[in-house]
Amino acid sequence: MILARVGIAPTIASNVRELPSAGDAKPEAVTLLKQRFHRQNVYMVAALFVVLLLLPYAPGAQSWMAAQAALVIIYVIAAQGVALLVGYTGLVTVGHGGFLAIGAYTAALLTKYFGVDLLVAIAGGGAIAAFIGMLLGLVFLRLAGPFMAIGTLGFAFFVGTIVTNVPLFEGRDGISLPPTNSVLGVKVGDIGFYYVAVVMLALMTLFLYSLLRSGVGRALRALRDSERAAESSGVNRLFYRTLAFSVSAGITGVAGALNGLLIHFVSAEVYSDIWYSVDILVAVVVGGASMMMGPFVGGFFVVMLPFFLDQLADFASILKGIVLIVVLLFAPAGVCAVLSGPLRAWRRRKLDEVRPAAAPIVPTVMTANR
Amino acid sequence: MTSHLRCQDITVRFGGLVACNSVSLEVERGKIVGLIGPNGAGKTTLFNVLSRFQEASAGDLFYEGRSIRNKKPHEMISIGMARTFQNINLFSEQSTLDNILIGAHRHVGDPFSHMYSLPHARRRERELVKQATEIASMLHLSDQLDNAVKNLPYGLQKRVELARALASRPEIILLDEPVAGCNDEETADLCTIVQKLNKELGITILLVEHDMTMVMSVCDYIYVMNFGANLAAGTPAQIRENPEVISAYLGEEVAA
Repeated sequence: MILARVGIAPTIASNVRELPSAGDAKPEAVTLLKQRFHRQNVYMVAALFVVLLLLPYAPGAQSWMAAQAALVIIYVIAAQGVALLVGYTGLVTVGHGGFLAIGAYTAALLTKYFGVDLLVAIAGGGAIAAFIGMLLGLVFLRLAGPFMAIGTLGFAFFVGTIVTNVPLFEGRDGISLPPTNSVLGVKVGDIGFYYVAVVMLALMTLFLYSLLRSGVGRALRALRDSERAAESSGVNRLFYRTLAFSVSAGITGVAGALNGLLIHFVSAEVYSDIWYSVDILVAVVVGGASMMMGPFVGGFFVVMLPFFLDQLADFASILKGIVLIVVLLFAPAGVCAVLSGPLRAWRRRKLDEVRPAAAPIVPTVMTANR
Repeated sequence: MTSHLRCQDITVRFGGLVACNSVSLEVERGKIVGLIGPNGAGKTTLFNVLSRFQEASAGDLFYEGRSIRNKKPHEMISIGMARTFQNINLFSEQSTLDNILIGAHRHVGDPFSHMYSLPHARRRERELVKQATEIASMLHLSDQLDNAVKNLPYGLQKRVELARALASRPEIILLDEPVAGCNDEETADLCTIVQKLNKELGITILLVEHDMTMVMSVCDYIYVMNFGANLAAGTPAQIRENPEVISAYLGEEVAA
């Protein structure tokens, strides 16, 4: 008990000197290089957001394009929510469209009946989705593997049935919202809304980044890779998975709220469709589930593919299916992993150059005994 | 004085098979205790009962005199018990540093402040990284901290697993066949390390092992199991002389 309170760290430090230092190299070179790579990553993401902020000023930009770009961002955020589960926690969900709907309806009802600010509606959508996600997490996470996936699918259908039949949600006629949103009292159009979406995307990206590099992200990855080893290290499986499910639902809920407010209309015709759930999952898998930039690539893909095909939009779903199969066969880690492959290979080479080979401990006690 | 870890009449049944039949064992604080026996004697089952991965059909467990039979596996770390696995059970895609840090999960604290990277959470994280670096240095893993453990040779992976157990700052470590599959040199390394942990950090150690050289040279006390039951117990010298043990297990090896 005393040991636990004092901590063994100082004792360990004092032991280091006594051990024969056979080939213990300086790790500084490796650390410095890793820090440099990390800075490069931060600069690249920062550059991407600068581009996003400048996009409305691009030559030839028109205001309807802002709505399309906002839609891409909405899908990216939704995919970020799903990627947290699929890529980092090792859980499969095929029903996150349900949380998208919860976010959209919460925001719509708050706006219609209480006339709340856009930001409050978005926060409300995320919070309610996260809360319901927590309750569902407690149930679903007791189911193993594919059964959980089926459970989430059932949840999406359940939400669809509720919004179609409960009068509050106005069924297939839908809830119409005022044609302009107001942010902090200022009326905003499509371009203003686009900026709100960019800020939300930045917040969600920062939050995910913070979560994944913290002890929480580490616990989730540990559970994904080996439940047994994680539990023997003191990770409470049910708690961390419920937390991940709730956070994931909350992020997708934010995307849902943005989606409802972008179109100023929320109806069961749209949200009772399982298509949303499938599209988000496709975005995650195609982009790359366990890379920060995966949802960016995937979200862009699922929204812009039908857009570019224009007249042939029906053909888009077939093409999406083909791309999905090709990705699963040839690049299961996602398109983002392929795109960043050369960069990561170069970095690995650089690291290997400075990293010395493993050296065994010089045996002392055993040789003495033999 | 109460013993550090004690199990009393543990019985485990898998259907009709009795894996452990009323097994009792006592580990004194600060000692290295070995648990040996032929294959299928129920050693690993008993280990899983002790670390709460396996429910016992009957019997009770005590940690410093308090019953721990109702504890869950993830709660064992916080009372001070860490374990390793017979077949290496690491997070193989992740770096050595991350593997060690997971061991320190008990000391992470409130997950919500970590999620948002609040200042005190980041400070705690830096402390844990520092501790992990020190443990790695002690086990001579410093130069592999950023390397994925799947790239490491077998002996080093065994050390990473031990480092992960150490990161929780345990009072007792359960080692399930720590040198299984290791060559002579790797075995010697691990013996050195186990003795250091025991002598210098005062960590109690209970180990299951087939390698007699290791068991006889590092253990203070040895329990022998056979067919799911206690067969004998004593110091290495007593076990070496015990005719029952020789006929059940050691056989030719000791006679020769």
